[in-house]
Amino acid sequence: MSLMEELRMNEENLLRTERLPHVWCPGCGIGIVLNAFLRAVMRRKIDPNKLVVVSGIGCTGRAAGYVNVDSFHTTHGRGIPFAVGIKFARPDLNVVVFSGDGDLFAIGGNHFVNAARRNHDLLIIAVNNFTYGMTGGQHGPTTPTGAYTTTTPYGNPDRPFNIPHLAISLGAPYVARWTTYHVNQLQNSIYKALGMKGFRVIEIISQCPTVYGRRNTMRTPLSMMEYFQKNSIIKNDASFEELEIKYKGRIVVGEFRNVQGIPTYEERYEDIIRRAQNES
Amino acid sequence: MTENKNFKRKATVKILEDRCKGCWYCVNYCPTKVLVVSEKLNAKGYHPPEFREDEEHVCIACHLCELYCPDFAIVVEELK
Repeated sequence: MSLMEELRMNEENLLRTERLPHVWCPGCGIGIVLNAFLRAVMRRKIDPNKLVVVSGIGCTGRAAGYVNVDSFHTTHGRGIPFAVGIKFARPDLNVVVFSGDGDLFAIGGNHFVNAARRNHDLLIIAVNNFTYGMTGGQHGPTTPTGAYTTTTPYGNPDRPFNIPHLAISLGAPYVARWTTYHVNQLQNSIYKALGMKGFRVIEIISQCPTVYGRRNTMRTPLSMMEYFQKNSIIKNDASFEELEIKYKGRIVVGEFRNVQGIPTYEERYEDIIRRAQNES
Repeated sequence: MTENKNFKRKATVKILEDRCKGCWYCVNYCPTKVLVVSEKLNAKGYHPPEFREDEEHVCIACHLCELYCPDFAIVVEELK
């Protein structure tokens, strides 16, 4: 049996297959990301009993309900605080926060910023679909300037978050961005990040044909995928300007930061406990 | 059409039709176009893809349809 066949067979054990087909719309990219994540977990040979998937609220928040490992569907925006708590109580677990852009950067924006600053040992998989999909397509913190949504019918005046640049500026040791078109690169990136320590951020640009695409001349799932295919370029040393996502513009993807050896918060905290015990 | 005379038949693609939602990424991104949109409907009312090989279109077991499927509905079974 080849490796790919084996991965596909074991993937069914990591999914709660009785809940499938899932709630996501036809052509939604979250399924592709979940598929890549599960394959990366199996390739890393991580024990399913040592893996925790934490997610917030939203379309991507439903991912925690489909994985057959310990998972946590938390309150809106609080995926990272719950994950930090899990990591503190059980430092031996691999904690993954699997959530969407609205949950991680709007409602939970402050948690993201401060957890990244302290370098907690978490893997953040941020699925960015440019909008609030579940509530009907309102504009969110990652909607590109000029995009049409239900709450910005004449074009969005806001500037979107530049997520890789935000994470790099806060000192995250691993920062990457891919689109759902790059299935293999995405899987390898998650595989690499699972073997590292520290606050690792992977942003995945995903398609939302149902509420974002239909208002921005990409009505079908395939036309959104075609947009990613034609407009994404791989550039690992991209500058701030290049990392910005412009409406219908280029999407720069790649691995923007990959450094090792930065002590995590958990390590520094253990160090403090040891020092305090020696003094007393 | 791609010239596939050098390729040998390497796998069959099994479709779990009840999970399919008809996004047709698999049909579009199959490099040798062995998947086509079928006429039949599944329980949810979508047209699932159908595995159809002929002389020009042969499955090369690249597993790309599996990776692109957002609904976990494709299993590629390699032939021994």
